[in-house]
Amino acid sequence: MTDKKKGNVFTNNPIVRAVGVQKIVVLLVLILLLVFFGAMSPSFRKYSTLLSIMDYTYYLAFLGMGVTFCLITGGVDLSIGTGMFCYAIIGGYLITKQGMPVIVGILVTLGCGLLMGTVNGLIVSRGGHAPFLATLCTMMIVRGLGAIVTNSTSVTWPASNVANGWTRKIFKITVGNTKFPLGLVWVILLAILLSMLLNRTKAGRYIIAIGSNKEAARLSGVNVANYQMLAYMICGLMTGLAGLAYSSAFQSMTPSGGSGIELNAIGGAIIGGTSMSGGSGSIAGTLLGVFIMSVLQTGLPFIGIQSNYQQIIIGLVLILAVYVDVLKNKKLA
Amino acid sequence: MDKIRNNAIVKKIGFNSLVLLCVLVLLFILFAILTPIMKPGTTFLSYSRIVSIFNYAYFLGFLSLGVTFVIATGGIDFSIGPVMYCAALISGQLLTKNGLPIGACLLISILVGIIFGCINGILVAYGGLPSFITSMASMMIAKGVGSVFTKTQSVSWPGGWYQNLVKWTVGGVEIPTGIIILFAGAAICAVVLNQTKIGRYILCIGSNREAVRLSGVDTKKWEMLAYIICGALAGVAAIFYVTVYTTVLPGGGDTFNNDAIAGCVMGGTSMAGGVASIGGTLIGVVIISLLQVGILAMGYQSQYQYVITGLIVLAVVYADLRSRRRSN
Amino acid sequence: MGDVILTMKGIDKSFPGVHALDHVDLEVRKGEVHALMGENGAGKSTLMKVLTGIYKKDEGTITYEGKEVEFSNPREAQDAGIVIVHQELNMMGHLTVAQNIFIGREIMKGKLIDDKKMNEEAKKLFDRLGIDIDPTETMSRLTVGKQQMCEIAKAISHDAKVIIFDEPSAALTEAEIEELFKIICDLRDKQLGIVYISHRMDEIKVITDRVTVMRDGGYVGTLITEDCTKDDIINMMVGRVIYEEPKTQSAVAPDAPVVLKVEHLNAGRMVQDVSFELRKGEILGFSGLMGAGRTETARALFGADPKDSGDVYINGKKVDIKTPQDAVRNGIGYLSEDRKRYGIVVDKTIAENSTMASLERFMKGIFINKKKENEAAQEYVDALNTKTPGVDQLVVNLSGGNQQKVVIAKWLVRNCDILIFDEPTRGIDVGAKSEIYTLMNKLAAEGKSIIMISSEMTEILRMSDRIVVMCEGKKTGELSIEEATQEKIMHAATLRN
Repeated sequence: MTDKKKGNVFTNNPIVRAVGVQKIVVLLVLILLLVFFGAMSPSFRKYSTLLSIMDYTYYLAFLGMGVTFCLITGGVDLSIGTGMFCYAIIGGYLITKQGMPVIVGILVTLGCGLLMGTVNGLIVSRGGHAPFLATLCTMMIVRGLGAIVTNSTSVTWPASNVANGWTRKIFKITVGNTKFPLGLVWVILLAILLSMLLNRTKAGRYIIAIGSNKEAARLSGVNVANYQMLAYMICGLMTGLAGLAYSSAFQSMTPSGGSGIELNAIGGAIIGGTSMSGGSGSIAGTLLGVFIMSVLQTGLPFIGIQSNYQQIIIGLVLILAVYVDVLKNKKLA
Repeated sequence: MDKIRNNAIVKKIGFNSLVLLCVLVLLFILFAILTPIMKPGTTFLSYSRIVSIFNYAYFLGFLSLGVTFVIATGGIDFSIGPVMYCAALISGQLLTKNGLPIGACLLISILVGIIFGCINGILVAYGGLPSFITSMASMMIAKGVGSVFTKTQSVSWPGGWYQNLVKWTVGGVEIPTGIIILFAGAAICAVVLNQTKIGRYILCIGSNREAVRLSGVDTKKWEMLAYIICGALAGVAAIFYVTVYTTVLPGGGDTFNNDAIAGCVMGGTSMAGGVASIGGTLIGVVIISLLQVGILAMGYQSQYQYVITGLIVLAVVYADLRSRRRSN
Repeated sequence: MGDVILTMKGIDKSFPGVHALDHVDLEVRKGEVHALMGENGAGKSTLMKVLTGIYKKDEGTITYEGKEVEFSNPREAQDAGIVIVHQELNMMGHLTVAQNIFIGREIMKGKLIDDKKMNEEAKKLFDRLGIDIDPTETMSRLTVGKQQMCEIAKAISHDAKVIIFDEPSAALTEAEIEELFKIICDLRDKQLGIVYISHRMDEIKVITDRVTVMRDGGYVGTLITEDCTKDDIINMMVGRVIYEEPKTQSAVAPDAPVVLKVEHLNAGRMVQDVSFELRKGEILGFSGLMGAGRTETARALFGADPKDSGDVYINGKKVDIKTPQDAVRNGIGYLSEDRKRYGIVVDKTIAENSTMASLERFMKGIFINKKKENEAAQEYVDALNTKTPGVDQLVVNLSGGNQQKVVIAKWLVRNCDILIFDEPTRGIDVGAKSEIYTLMNKLAAEGKSIIMISSEMTEILRMSDRIVVMCEGKKTGELSIEEATQEKIMHAATLRN
């Protein structure tokens, strides 16, 4: 018997193996998508399109990278979509309606995310709930919470041309007459940081180990409950950050909104090669997957496909990605 | 406590269902007392209040009954709410824009539900995909299909004979047909779950899939059937939804998933599969409907209901986990 | 051989209802490979679990490096230098080899893990052991044998002084075993004490210095490997007095028709080219040691797991069994060794379990005829003497023996002609055991044909009309009951070919 997976010339190439087959395929698909949209629609080939792709990418990237940690432990967090709205609305409400300093709003947004992440982590790791069910419940809770705090009014973070509007410049800065997607820098920096966290620290190592073989990790002396919880806390904090990104890029947020966004983020992670069954996943892959999602979202209207079709397409893409994941796991077993 | 548990009548109805009934009654009394206090000049106890509780319970009841079958197999279906909307939109569009007869539209509504049930069932049972992510994907598809079909327009069902399904006035006498049909539907579900091969295999698959497979049972087929039943009942729910609320907006419906699953779990159906109670689901649904109406009556918006429902489900599931751990 | 490093003396351990270890002695010296042998259930694993602190001993002393010790968990034992290489792998398939070896004690550079250093250390370790594995390779991409090597390397990296190998060769290829032996000899030369648990007689002769034999939880004796023969060891392993009357001759008529014929069945590594015949009214015993592939053969035959190739004939007619449905349709019933997982649905009633395989017979239109169902279940509760207040009792409330009867009832209700009983008396008390034996004899007398997989020698000799012996996925012997002895069976069961 030789090695289990023989592979072929392509898959055994050292560069391909270092990057991962799936990521290369996803990158190719991404390029193809861009070329396709560009060829189909002249107006797609504009700089402003890139900016709006980026607007979608920021928050999805933060959500996707966060939920990647949960997925790697073998869990999931469904509360990120509504959570993102809830936290940003609470933060924005404090700034615009209560007249608090912007920095308080930012800290509250992040803090709410971290808090709900901790709650999710506690319920899953200590309470023993199935992750999808536990986070479904917290999804309902945050959905109501945002509306309760703001008394059901929608919230818009200060516009970029007012004094308090500097949060928007974090992600999109205007130099002269040109807008630059500064947020991309933050996304990439954060991706590198999280990648280090996942691959180079004990926390990340143990999060992977738990998802790969929980029992073996426990027997190796890993505190499974703590690291499982940590994954949800990271995810929560990233959700808060996504809330900031969303509120900086878009106008009004209605309370109780945001449901469905979690699927775009989870879909992005799975497309990028993160497994639903835990143990494997990468930040870079998630980033690529998220790009596919945001390019689809931005590009489809350019070729005359409205948002209702988009949902169908994204639903199908999700099923396809999960199916590929299931097949991959079958092959490994 | 044990004495009560072991009483013959209690056993017949089920201890959990009895507790649930008590909760229902207590909640009702609570709302009756609190409503005039919170919102002076109003009263909770009125005929129209009862009607609005049941109006909410009709469609939610069918959704919940359907998802009970899926949860009994150990799976989950998050697409039921949007599928209900999708079914109502498609059949409504055919009714108002294409002039199809009402009877045909009602059948089409159920058919749409069945199609989505089939898709979920095939992907989960034969494709081996996790049910929660699959059904979430089909939730998006259902939302999309609904709005594509109606070109993102809302659909308003005109009046018609089908409204007799909820309330039938014969010679000046109002017959609450909705309640009768809901209870009849629940009775049929209870019979299917407890007296037929489908129900038997669904429950056993939820308990121990491998043992059932090794008994020579086609587990995939029966698992798929659970999703189909669930889809069909979502189609039925659509009929009751439009009868009560007439207008359907495209792109929504997902909040009803949570309510339906909450009603089912509250009623004693275990998320781990294998244990399901139709009677419990029915009471759970009425409790959810009461919460919905009661919270509104007290002058609060429905967001409080989201929070409360979320907390209740967490608590109920936790209790289920605890009792399971203790019995092991 | 050097000084004594580890002595276990008079170790006694009881579990409710079982006297698992009865004053067992074991002595390991520095620089020796000490074989620990015995049939399945002889108590080898229990002894090692007592040593490494997984179980607490009732009596006896453990002396390690001159001091009396008692470990409370494997971690403590490991820190003291006693490590165990398990047969089942405890690996995280998504991590690399080096990451697995150093899990829980990563080499750090500040706050970050120093993977480079870990790879170097792992490489050094492999070089020292003469193993050729790339430390940066993902674990799940390695063969089972290579994974085993990593597990060994991980054990050694703990600065071990005593290493216990629990059937390390079961998953290895010929070449890998040679590699393993080289490593073991190397460790021996470095004055480590090694305990080697194996069923393979020829390996014992090659690699070990002394052999301690256990039987039925008791200590039988210790031999110098060089001075003894394979037969000596086998005699010690099986040399029990059999209280129950073994069968002396087959109860099957010589001209009884063949009801089941299996030809060249292959299914993965554990079922290789297995062929046998089963006659009407026959109890065909399947004997062998743990991991011989008997259960796998049964599951492949039953369609529970996919088979690679092979033909199955029932009553002379070729049948195609792909799923358990096909098997049941062809009149085969399978009683799994793991009752709780594969046999019964514990939170359902006796009646529901009894009719599971034949529900269509209990239908009245679209409804289940519960009255008829209960009657049928009751009939078999009476016939099998299942102790229960009623057929509406949940199976979870029954004892192991009675649960087993419910599974048997399931196949009898279905009226299966061919029954596969996989360890039918495992975890069942003595009284219920003899009831199940009586029942099996009765079924055979009624013309049912039974394949009985059993790891208990006495059970095989008492029940079988004919015996098939397997070893490592292959059929290594077939004996009529007239010629079968414990020694002959054990010979075949340890035969590698």
